[in-house]
Amino acid sequence: MNNSEKDMTQQLEALPREKTPSRDLWPGIEYAISQRQAAEKTSWRRQTGIAASFLVALLVGYMGYQGLGSQGILQNNQAIAEQMSVQFMQQRDALLISLDGQNATTQNWQQQLDELDAAAKAIKTALKEDPNNQALLAMLKNVYEQQLKLIERVHAPSWQQI
Amino acid sequence: MNKPLTLIPSDTALENGEDNIVYAAKNGDRNAFKVLYDAHINRVYALCYRLCADKSQAEDAAQEVFIQVWRKLDNYDGKSKFSTWLHSVTANVTISYLRKQRGWWHKMFSLESAELRHEIASEPDMDAFEKHIYQLPERARWVFVLHAIEGYRHEQIGEMLGIAVGTSKAQFHRARHLIEEWMSNE
Repeated sequence: MNNSEKDMTQQLEALPREKTPSRDLWPGIEYAISQRQAAEKTSWRRQTGIAASFLVALLVGYMGYQGLGSQGILQNNQAIAEQMSVQFMQQRDALLISLDGQNATTQNWQQQLDELDAAAKAIKTALKEDPNNQALLAMLKNVYEQQLKLIERVHAPSWQQI
Repeated sequence: MNKPLTLIPSDTALENGEDNIVYAAKNGDRNAFKVLYDAHINRVYALCYRLCADKSQAEDAAQEVFIQVWRKLDNYDGKSKFSTWLHSVTANVTISYLRKQRGWWHKMFSLESAELRHEIASEPDMDAFEKHIYQLPERARWVFVLHAIEGYRHEQIGEMLGIAVGTSKAQFHRARHLIEEWMSNE
């Protein structure tokens, strides 16, 4: 190492490692980072809000879909049951009118009819509690058909019963 | 609200507990970040000053350094000393700051950098050797400060400045010869 190199090395080692700014730099830094934190919070809140809104919308939509779906089934089954009841009563009344004056072959047909009617009511009650139960709907339909067949059979001419 | 941290009086105590302070600052504790600022500002400012060769720009750059450090604290993995990482960030942010400033400065006023350096050279409390550093051409000064004072290797400087290793070495020798020449003429 020559003299100039030694001299430069000494000068470099003598340089102060620290310097003090002429003004306090912290307030500007603090302001900038607090602004950023506020912006991040706002952004986070906005994003969270959007995400929450989206989630709520999704949930409501899903619940609505589920609700509408199940209610749709409920309403559909109940409507079918009611429709079946109305049709059955119309058919029954029309049938009884058409058979008016004919003697029944059995004496207890009305009792059998009442029992089937009670069974239909029980099925309809069960259907209200379990609206998705398609088997109950099929049973109701079968009970109504049995009632109509019973009325027809007991009023049919004797030769047809042989 | 963040709990205020007790200020640590000595550098040794700070170094021992610095990991915890950095961790707190990483988690958004501004009081912890203030402790880091107080501990390192003078060292950071000295590097900014030598790279900028301008007091006002150095102060702006030092502020920018700490703002960037706050944003990038998550990038500090703790493998090196915090001060080592901080000085690397300081060098990069200051160089970036100067490049932006230079572009704006040249567009607006077309001033020669020599005119800016004249103000530095006229500061009374600065020794002759340090004045020579500020009189160096910008690129040569950056390389000289980073290599001779901060101890970065030419490979690292090449990456920081986006120049070839050979260019960094050449700029360093140029700076050194200029300073030697100026010193011999005193």
